[in-house]
Amino acid sequence: MLFSSLFGAWIAAFLTLGIFSYLFRDNPFYRIAEHVFVGVSAAYWAATFYWTQIYPNLFGRLFPIDGPFNNFWVVDKGHEFSIIYILPLILGIMMLLSVSKQFNWMARWGIAYTVGIAAGLKAFGYLKSNVIEQVASSALPIFDGNTPWFAISGNSIFNNLVIIIGTVSALLYFYFSKEQKGAFGKVTRLGIYFLMISFGASFGFAVMGRISLLIGRFNDLINFSTADYNYATIWIIIFIVIVLGFWSFKNPEKSEV
Amino acid sequence: MFLRRTIPIFIVGFFGAFTLFGWFIENESIKAFINDDATQWYDIIASFAIFLGALNLLKLQSLKVLKRQSGWQYSLIAILSFLYVFVIGFFMRGAFFVEISSIPSNPDPMINLVNETTALELNSSYFVDVNNENPFRIEVPFYTDSSADDFVAQLASLGVNSAVVPTPWGAHIQTSGGLFKWMFDNIFTPLSATMFALLAFFVASASYRAFKARNFEATLLLLAGIIIMIGRVPVGSLISSWFVMYLTVLGVGVVLSGLVRDRRIIFGWVLFGLLFVTILGMQMGWPIDKPTMFFLPALQEWIYMVPNVAGARAIMIGIGLGIIITSLRYIFGLEKSYIGDQ
Amino acid sequence: MEKLENIILKLGSIDRRIIFLIIGLAVLIPLLRPVDLPIRPGPSSQQVYDAIDSIPDNSKVLISFDYGPSTRPEIHPMTLGVMRQLLDQNRGHKIYVTCLWPDGLYMAKDALKTINKEYTLEKYEDYVLLGFRPGYEAVIKGLENNLRAVYTVDADLTSIDDIPMMEGINSLEDFDFIFSGSAGYPGSLEWVLYGPTTVPLSSGTTSIQVNEVLPYVQSGQLKGILAGMPGAAEYEALVGKKGIATSGMAAQSYGHIVIILFIILGNLAYFIKERRERKY
Repeated sequence: MLFSSLFGAWIAAFLTLGIFSYLFRDNPFYRIAEHVFVGVSAAYWAATFYWTQIYPNLFGRLFPIDGPFNNFWVVDKGHEFSIIYILPLILGIMMLLSVSKQFNWMARWGIAYTVGIAAGLKAFGYLKSNVIEQVASSALPIFDGNTPWFAISGNSIFNNLVIIIGTVSALLYFYFSKEQKGAFGKVTRLGIYFLMISFGASFGFAVMGRISLLIGRFNDLINFSTADYNYATIWIIIFIVIVLGFWSFKNPEKSEV
Repeated sequence: MFLRRTIPIFIVGFFGAFTLFGWFIENESIKAFINDDATQWYDIIASFAIFLGALNLLKLQSLKVLKRQSGWQYSLIAILSFLYVFVIGFFMRGAFFVEISSIPSNPDPMINLVNETTALELNSSYFVDVNNENPFRIEVPFYTDSSADDFVAQLASLGVNSAVVPTPWGAHIQTSGGLFKWMFDNIFTPLSATMFALLAFFVASASYRAFKARNFEATLLLLAGIIIMIGRVPVGSLISSWFVMYLTVLGVGVVLSGLVRDRRIIFGWVLFGLLFVTILGMQMGWPIDKPTMFFLPALQEWIYMVPNVAGARAIMIGIGLGIIITSLRYIFGLEKSYIGDQ
Repeated sequence: MEKLENIILKLGSIDRRIIFLIIGLAVLIPLLRPVDLPIRPGPSSQQVYDAIDSIPDNSKVLISFDYGPSTRPEIHPMTLGVMRQLLDQNRGHKIYVTCLWPDGLYMAKDALKTINKEYTLEKYEDYVLLGFRPGYEAVIKGLENNLRAVYTVDADLTSIDDIPMMEGINSLEDFDFIFSGSAGYPGSLEWVLYGPTTVPLSSGTTSIQVNEVLPYVQSGQLKGILAGMPGAAEYEALVGKKGIATSGMAAQSYGHIVIILFIILGNLAYFIKERRERKY
């Protein structure tokens, strides 16, 4: 095995166990791992966005191989010269200048552009897919002779009725312009019950997702505990436990009020 | 005021309206601008925002170190980590490949050297048609050009013609085996994945402490969550529907005990329910998955695809309507929170 | 009875580190000592399988790798499963791979490496790795408009015009099926919002994203969904090849059971406490 792979495994195991050490209590291993994560992720995203967005899409269109500025710089990404891309460059530089207090208003132009584009794009996309299509899909058959009355899975009149009543009552709950009392209140109460079922399902899926991620991490740690990686996980656990034990003895935990 | 307020509001209104109405205009250049350029600009400016975030982070952490505030040593670690990745991302290619264009008649020493250096398991069949037009690329890159050059020199001493091929800028952050990828695999990914995985423990702890069936709605939420959690995994199909039926009878008994004072009614219900389930089970032969509506995977699927969809759809429509209205408010200049106005 | 209630009350306020330890062990032990549990494919996973099964012969299938290494345990088995199902059918399907995430490219290369070990595939005849393009949903819109403007070359920098299986592919409408392995943004949601409505679309997502896209399944905008690791395990069972998703199911199951037991314990303690406070 390459030294870089072995060294990388030890680093990965140390950082993973450092984060997990937070489960015991906030401690220097966790703080180190956390601050490494902060620094690394800021630079990682900066590098990734630069090389995947700014370099090919911006500079690739301002300095293409057959552009007017090819004496100054060439970024050959198969694009043609497009002078209008000077605008996002200016907006981007203004955004960077806003780090200084004197120029912090400059970021507003770039933010305004992103807000405007997002508003225009999302409005139509969400209207089409999340409103019109969803409302259309809620129009389910309940008087169809071919559909069975009840089925635990699949199409049935009972299931369709539940979806229609649930969707309408839950939507009505979000109508706050009218006081939710009387018959209207009863309908919105029913809507709340459907929303609670939905939230419960979301909770179940959230737990499932987190446990899946935990399984992924544990699989990696198990892999790093083998002889191929010089039992990295085991040694690091022993090291962290000993150091943390000593550190906890020197820094007893303040009892919660 | 004009630069700080009027122009941003105009930018939002103009580009927002342009993009929105562009969906309904059949003009090729407008469509091309909206589908391609407008969204590319969006991504480019968002990328600059990431840089701004990184600069602000450096500023804050540096101030902490300079003023020796509490925990400044950790801030120093954050700055050093940032600089490390920044350097390997922007100033080091970190991926230099060696391409072999001709080999000696006895390639074994070369193959041994390559395998030793790169931990690959190559043999002579890999080098059968190697020539200048068809060089063989060693798929494990070197992190620095000097180490690649040294390797080329070692190969040359064995009579091998080879050359260093640096990875183009931009591709270097995605090259398998490269330095940036090493950092991504061994530092960034373990940290980000573990941060998320940590939540599994806190979800368990929070569920235990805070998830109380205080009222009917909370009970509904709890039950839906529990049924989904058990029904979705293989263990759910090992739980007999009869066990669930017995639990249901007892559960209804518990609810009745809160509503009805006469204990004889509660006792009667529980006894009747248990007897009914037992007789039915004996008649049907205790199949694990019947009655289907009490079989957890099937019950879970029904909850997942029927009432859950109703609730999720209502939320989706509500959010969709909210996004449309908020988008229009931004476009018409009624919403100015992005410039700090109320 | 009172003694039992006191024990439950005491258990109702245990140190959270004990809970962490128990959860950790519940997930770790089945990984160290694997347990085989029966996997029962659910209707939504079956719907994905049936949708892929029903595409015509010689179909062009686009698979989008919209996830990274941190969600690999959940999504990777799904994309592998889709490719295996297509290739097992032996009906002349062609696989086109695209990535909306930069990390997706590593996942795609890894998946193709695995598939190439299992099947005899000819690059550019059976599959092509188009690669990653930045731009999130702009990429999808660009692909729908003019694919050849977005992808002038593939991931190995071969010109699209020189790739035999790219003949006749000018936009997303020219595909017969699209599958997105999605871990967030951009992913399934963007494919539904901005993708073509005439091409059947299916997806596999992380568990956390499932509820967000479920209404699209019911409305038919998505042909079924593979929901998280359990969905991936169900799909592996349908395709007939067990993998990392199946091996994680025991740990997933025990983790869930432990959390549910804690919830029940917490609630029991709560009810006992409430009853005693009402009494006094």
